Amino acid sequence: MAELVKNTVEIPTLQTEEKTISPWKEAWQSFYKNRLALAGLIIVVFFIILAIIAPLAAPYSYDGQTLTDRLQPPSSKHWFGTDDFGRDIFSRVVYGARISLWVGFFSVLGSVIAGTLLGIIAGYYGRWVDTIISRVFDVMLAFPSILLAIAVVAILGPSLQNALIAIAVINIPNFGRLIRSRVLSVKQEEYIMAARAIGMKDSRILLHHILPNSISPVIVQATLAIASAIIEAAGLGFLGLGAQPPTPEWGKMLADSKQYLVQAPWTLFFPGIAIALTVLGFNLMGDGLRDVLDPKMKQ
Amino acid sequence: MKKRSLTWLLISVMAISMFLAGCGSKSTSSTAKDDTKSGSKKDTLVYGRGGDSTSLDPITTTEGETFKVTINIFENLVNYGKQDTTLHPGLAKSWEVSPDGLTYTFHLRQGVKFQDGTDFNADAVVFNFNRWMNGDEKQFPYYTMFGGFKKDPGHVIKEVKAVDQNTVQFILKRPMAPFLKNLAMSPFGIASPSAVKKWGDKFREHPVGTGPFKFVEWKQNDRIVLEKNPDYWQKGLPKLNKIIFRVIPENTARLNALANGEIDVMDGLNPSDEATVKANKNLQIIKRPSMNVGYLGFTVTRKPFDNKLVRQALSYAIDKKAIIKAFYGGQAIPAKNPMPPSIEGYNDAVQDYPYDLEKAKQLLAQAGYPNGFSMDLWAMPVARPYMPEGMKIAEVIQEDLSKIGVKAKIQSVDWATYLQKATKGDFDAYMLGWTGDNGDPDNFLYALLDKDSIGSNNYSRYDNPQVHDLLIKAQQEADQTKRNDLYKQAQQIIHDDAPWVPLVHSTPLLAASKDVVNYVPHPTGSEVLSEVEFK
Repeated sequence: MAELVKNTVEIPTLQTEEKTISPWKEAWQSFYKNRLALAGLIIVVFFIILAIIAPLAAPYSYDGQTLTDRLQPPSSKHWFGTDDFGRDIFSRVVYGARISLWVGFFSVLGSVIAGTLLGIIAGYYGRWVDTIISRVFDVMLAFPSILLAIAVVAILGPSLQNALIAIAVINIPNFGRLIRSRVLSVKQEEYIMAARAIGMKDSRILLHHILPNSISPVIVQATLAIASAIIEAAGLGFLGLGAQPPTPEWGKMLADSKQYLVQAPWTLFFPGIAIALTVLGFNLMGDGLRDVLDPKMKQ
Repeated sequence: MKKRSLTWLLISVMAISMFLAGCGSKSTSSTAKDDTKSGSKKDTLVYGRGGDSTSLDPITTTEGETFKVTINIFENLVNYGKQDTTLHPGLAKSWEVSPDGLTYTFHLRQGVKFQDGTDFNADAVVFNFNRWMNGDEKQFPYYTMFGGFKKDPGHVIKEVKAVDQNTVQFILKRPMAPFLKNLAMSPFGIASPSAVKKWGDKFREHPVGTGPFKFVEWKQNDRIVLEKNPDYWQKGLPKLNKIIFRVIPENTARLNALANGEIDVMDGLNPSDEATVKANKNLQIIKRPSMNVGYLGFTVTRKPFDNKLVRQALSYAIDKKAIIKAFYGGQAIPAKNPMPPSIEGYNDAVQDYPYDLEKAKQLLAQAGYPNGFSMDLWAMPVARPYMPEGMKIAEVIQEDLSKIGVKAKIQSVDWATYLQKATKGDFDAYMLGWTGDNGDPDNFLYALLDKDSIGSNNYSRYDNPQVHDLLIKAQQEADQTKRNDLYKQAQQIIHDDAPWVPLVHSTPLLAASKDVVNYVPHPTGSEVLSEVEFK
C-alpha cells in the first residue's frame, strides 16, 4: 500500500520538476537582462577570485613592515601606497578580501542554518514553541544589531572568529522570522495536509516539502545579509573588536589609518573603496535575485 | 523603470550630501574662529587632554592627569624651577637643614589664605602630614615616597611639629637625600584642614588649597572648571579668569578641536601631526622638556620570562631607532637605562643591546627555545606622553619578535584595568612608561624596579637584593657624587638582568593656539598656569 501511494505521489512531482527547470532558466535570463544585477555579480565574482589568488595577486606580504617606507603615496612600486608601518596597502587590501568574504559567507551561513531551523520549528509546531522562539527573536531585534554584536564580542573576547560568531548570532532572527512566516503559509497548502493525512513523518514533511518551498526568499535575504555582515565585520574591526593586528581586515585598516586622513588619504581611501565595492556588489546581486525569484516582483 | 530612476536619485542625493557635509565642517570651523577673534581679550583657557583626573585630592592617586589640575589648586612648601626640578621657595619662604640631615625647619609665608577663607599656617601643615602618615597605601599611595606610613618601620618622618604660627619642623629618623625634592611633588600640596574635615571622603571632589585657581565644578569624563582665586597671595596673578580642562580621548579629534577653536591648548599631540600643526598659522607647537622613559616590561615571575637569556634575546630583537623614526617623528632618543639622561646619576657607560637578530636567536636557542614561543604582548589603550601611539609600537614589536620566532599576540583593555592587571603581574610582557615626578634617580629606579615597589609600580616584579641594597644606601647617602655612583652601579646590574627593554625617552609635544602666551611646560608633566594669558 505504502509503495503504491509513494508512486502516485512521485509521478506528479517529477512532472512538476521538469516544468520548474524552465523557470530557473527563465530566472537566469531575466537576471542576465538586469544589468545592475549582472554588474553586482561581476563585482562579487571579481572579489572572490581575488581572495582565492591573493598570494599570487599581492606583490608583497600583508604583514611585512618597512618602517623606512612608511606613508608612501601610490606609485608604481606600491600601487595603493603604504601605510604607517610601511606595509603595501594593495597587498593588504587583496588579503583583506579573503577575510571579509570569509566572515561574510560563514557568518551568514551560520545564521541561515540556525535561523532556518528555529524558524521552521516555530512556524510548523506553533503554540508555545512558537511563542518562545518568536519572543526571543523579538528581544534580539529590539537591540540595535551592532550593539548586540559588541555585547557578544565583549563576552567572548575580541578576535575575528568571535566577530564572525557575533555577526552570525545577530542575524539569526532575520532569517528565523522570514522562514517562520513562509512556513505558516506553506503548511496550510493542500499538499502538506495530504502528506500529513497519509501519515508522513514530521521530519520528512519539514525537510522535503516545507523547506524547499520556503527557501527562495532566504537565498535573496542571505545575499543581502552578506553585504551587511561585511559592513558589520568592518565595523567591529574598526572598533578594535574584530580582527587583531596584523590581520589585514578592511575595517581595522580604516581604524588604524584614521589619524592620517589629511596626511595620507590613500591609507583610508583604498580599504574604504574595497568595503564599498563588495557591499555594493552583494546588494546589487541580491536586489536582482529578489526581482527574479520573488513571484510578487515579477509583474 | 521607475524604480531605477529612484535608485539614481537616491545615489545622487547621497553623493551630494557627502560633498556638502565635507564643506560644512570647514565653514563652521571658520565661523567659530571668527567668533573668538571678534570678542574682547580672552581670559578663559580651555585645555584639551586625553583622560580625566581620577581624583582631585592629589595625595589619593599617582596618576598624572590629576596633578595637571591640582597643581593649580594646591601649593607645596617648596617648588620646582620653571622648567627643571631645582628647588625654590613655595609656601615656605626659606628653610634650614641641620648638619646631621635629620631636622628640617621651614619658615612659612605669612598672610596666605586658603580658598575657603581660613588661614594657612604651621598647624595646617602639621594637620596635612598627620592625615597622610596615618593612612595606608590604598588611601594615599604616593606617601610611600617617605618610606611607608607611620606604622611601618621604614617610615622616615619621626615627627612634624609647629614651632610657632609660621615655623614648621620635620624631624627624620634617618637622613633622606631626596626629602626636599619629594616635598615639592604635586601629591604633597597643602590642603585646607577645615575643608578636609568638612568633606571627609568627598574632599577628592571638593578640593580647597591656597593656589592661584579655585575649584568650580567637575563633570566626570567631560570637564573640570577652575576659576581665578581673587585673594591669591601673589599680586597680579593669575592672569586667566577661568580654566576648563576638557577630556577628548582621541589625539586626532583633540587636534581637530584645537584647529576649530574649541580648545586653546592640547597635550598628547601625535608626533606625526607636528607638520600639520606647523602648517597651520593659527597654531603653535610647545615642546615639553623630556624626563620620562617608555619601556617594554617583562613580568619576570612568569615563564619563559623568568629566564634572563630570554629577556636578553628579546632586547636584541627590538629595533628602537626604527620605532623612534616612525612613531616619534624623531622627537625621542633611544633608551638604554630605566632613567633619562637629563637626571643626575645616569650611567652613560652602559652599552645598549644592539639590534642583532642573529644574537637574539642564538640566545633564545641557548635558553631552550630554538623555535621561539608564543606570548601575550599588552599595549596600553591610551596615549601617554612617553608613548603617544602604544598600539602601533606594539605592532612593530610584534613584527620584530616574529623575526626570531616569537609569536606575540597583542592585547589591550581599558586603562584603569590595564594598570590593575599590571600591578598584579598578570601580563607576560607589557608596554608602559614613567614620567619623573621630582628629577631624582630614586623616583625612577627605586619607584619602578625595587622589590619594595612590587605591588605598586614595579610591574615586572623584578627583585634583586643587590639592587635593593644599592638603592637604599643611595637614599641615605648625603654626598651627591657617592649617590650617583651607587645609582650607576644599580643601572649596570639592571641592564644585565634586563627586566625591561627600555625603549625611548621622548619629548612630549603640546599644541596651542598662537595667541596663548607664557605657557611654560614642566618636565614633570604638570605646570601651574597662573602666568598664562592670551595675546
